[in-house]
Amino acid sequence: MLSRGKALKVSIYLSEGSTHKGASSYSSILDYLFFRGCSGATVLKGVAGFGADHHMHSANVVEMSDRLPMKIEFIETPEKVEELLPKLEELAGSGLIEVQETTIAKPPELSKPKPERAREHVKIEGKAQMMRIFFGESDRWRDQPLHEALIKAMRANDLAGATVYRGILGYGAHRRVHRDSPLRLSRDSSMMISVIDTEAKLRAFLPIVDQMVEEGLVVLSDVDVIKYSHRAVEGSE
Amino acid sequence: MKEQFEGRLLRIHFTEADKWQGEPLYKAIVAKCMELGIEGATVFRGIEGFGASARIYHARTLSISKNAPVMVTIVDKEAQIQKLLPHLDQMIAGGLVAISRVDAIRYSRSGEEPRKSQA
Repeated sequence: MLSRGKALKVSIYLSEGSTHKGASSYSSILDYLFFRGCSGATVLKGVAGFGADHHMHSANVVEMSDRLPMKIEFIETPEKVEELLPKLEELAGSGLIEVQETTIAKPPELSKPKPERAREHVKIEGKAQMMRIFFGESDRWRDQPLHEALIKAMRANDLAGATVYRGILGYGAHRRVHRDSPLRLSRDSSMMISVIDTEAKLRAFLPIVDQMVEEGLVVLSDVDVIKYSHRAVEGSE
Repeated sequence: MKEQFEGRLLRIHFTEADKWQGEPLYKAIVAKCMELGIEGATVFRGIEGFGASARIYHARTLSISKNAPVMVTIVDKEAQIQKLLPHLDQMIAGGLVAISRVDAIRYSRSGEEPRKSQA
């Protein structure tokens, strides 16, 4: 939460076409900032510029350039910036990150305070918890399907992994019956996301679930993790 | 609206071909849950599996056999789950029922009255 006084302003310079693990870098960064509870961020698109490779990129209609400069700016407390920077460095790839001291003359006014979350990715083994979230396929969050938004939020919060299941029949709150009908294109099946991680990380994620799930059921149970291993992915932490 | 409670999560495993009084068992179980005023139930169809009541099953596009593994997941307070168990004893000929203790949070849209569960 920002208040009047000293703060840091972070600017990240990227090329529009740059990607991180297949997704566009700027949207990955924006998602990361958003789900990490950053107070705000702005993405600006340049009309011309050049960077490390010393190539001039400009908005030429004939070229339809996807290498235009992009700038992501946000202002946060020094502690928050310190917490966010390592992951941002990874996400920015070959781009440039600049941090400058600034003074907040008027803090932004929030309608709802954001939950505080900050935890590094830990390997889980032994005692852990499983979270299952039940909802309907047609549920949305902002402009996207709820299951996609939840998975994005879970990724941004470094949860160990999540799986979405679609049910063939079910009902829940208000006895709305969900049926999977192959003849209809628009579906409203029962959905379940299951995710396993440490109790601390799942509890820390609950405030986000609070914001995103309007109607549904969340259950937490104790599990023993027998094996958790993954292939080393190039460019991952 | 948000309500927290300690509940039980019930998973029932059987196959799509299992029947109860002429209709698919999974439909009968969901109907029974609704009748008892159980919080919610969801049926999932597996793509491969084996178990007490089924030999190994693969989901094949061209196969018309309806013997896929099916799992019904039910969450409610313990008292409600206990009410359901005797009915399951009758209905399930071959299958598996597993119960785990869970911490549950129910979200319902404000303005709508959440359904009362008679726990």
